[in-house]
Amino acid sequence: MSIAPDPDVTIPDEALLVAFANGDQLAARLLASRLLPRVLAQATRMLFDRTEAEDVAQDAMMRLWKVAPDWRQGEAQVGTWLYRVVANLCTDRLRKRRGGVSLDQVAEPADDTPSVGAQMQTAARMRALSEGLAQLPERQAQAVALRHLEGLSNPEIAEIMDISVRSVESLTARGKRALADIMAGRKAELGYEDD
Amino acid sequence: MRMTDPNEDMLDDLFAQARRVKPPVSDDLLARVLADARPPETSVDAPGIWAGLLDAVGGWFAMGGLATATLAGLWIGIAPPLAVEELTAGLLGETVTVHLGSASGFADFGELGDG
Repeated sequence: MSIAPDPDVTIPDEALLVAFANGDQLAARLLASRLLPRVLAQATRMLFDRTEAEDVAQDAMMRLWKVAPDWRQGEAQVGTWLYRVVANLCTDRLRKRRGGVSLDQVAEPADDTPSVGAQMQTAARMRALSEGLAQLPERQAQAVALRHLEGLSNPEIAEIMDISVRSVESLTARGKRALADIMAGRKAELGYEDD
Repeated sequence: MRMTDPNEDMLDDLFAQARRVKPPVSDDLLARVLADARPPETSVDAPGIWAGLLDAVGGWFAMGGLATATLAGLWIGIAPPLAVEELTAGLLGETVTVHLGSASGFADFGELGDG
């Protein structure tokens, strides 16, 4: 089974969701092909654990299917809603890691890493980054991940997190500073030269 | 004064690497997600409009009570005070029989307009 290309990108996600709620299974396939890659990527970047990221992606999509009958067009965008759900599910799992649960499975390395050595180093760095995120307060971790891992703008993050843009700026600034301090202790281990 | 923080430089590099992570969606995950995508309760087994109305007032049992109360109200409305007293006595001590659509029940109703 594979994800077929989306034959009609002009149909909004919200319209497909309503169609699914009315029993259209093709709409579910189209939504999955559009949304699942991004949902899985967001979860993987935050957790860097393939099994956990897939579980989060499945859980987020399950919640989307369940909310479909009550979805009111014009009130929210599916993409924004999913960013929020995935961010919350991931910070739930990061919180559990603080109890000492180790990462037991490494996610797929980035496609463009050329060698096994580089892949291993990238994996170690991404795993360390995820462990660093786990040490941040949850709202800071969410804001930093949405800003720096997903590349979203502050107004977009404000909408996702349902806070003001000023609060986003504060959370990302404090979160990034704290994360930099956390990661500084692992500089040599991760292959970064001291300046 | 240092222009850049080396720790933040390292972090920016880590962020850039993380943004390049684009895991493929496995067939297994896609199958799991689509298996979850069950449409909400369809109309095949949905009750009809009359069943819906019936549920709204509490089902057939409540409907019986509603009919009795309606007829009792109708009776009190059209009967003289003495008859109300007789009805009360009847409810407390005797069996009350109400005839639906009986000649005495609705034939009289037609004459109420001119009081």
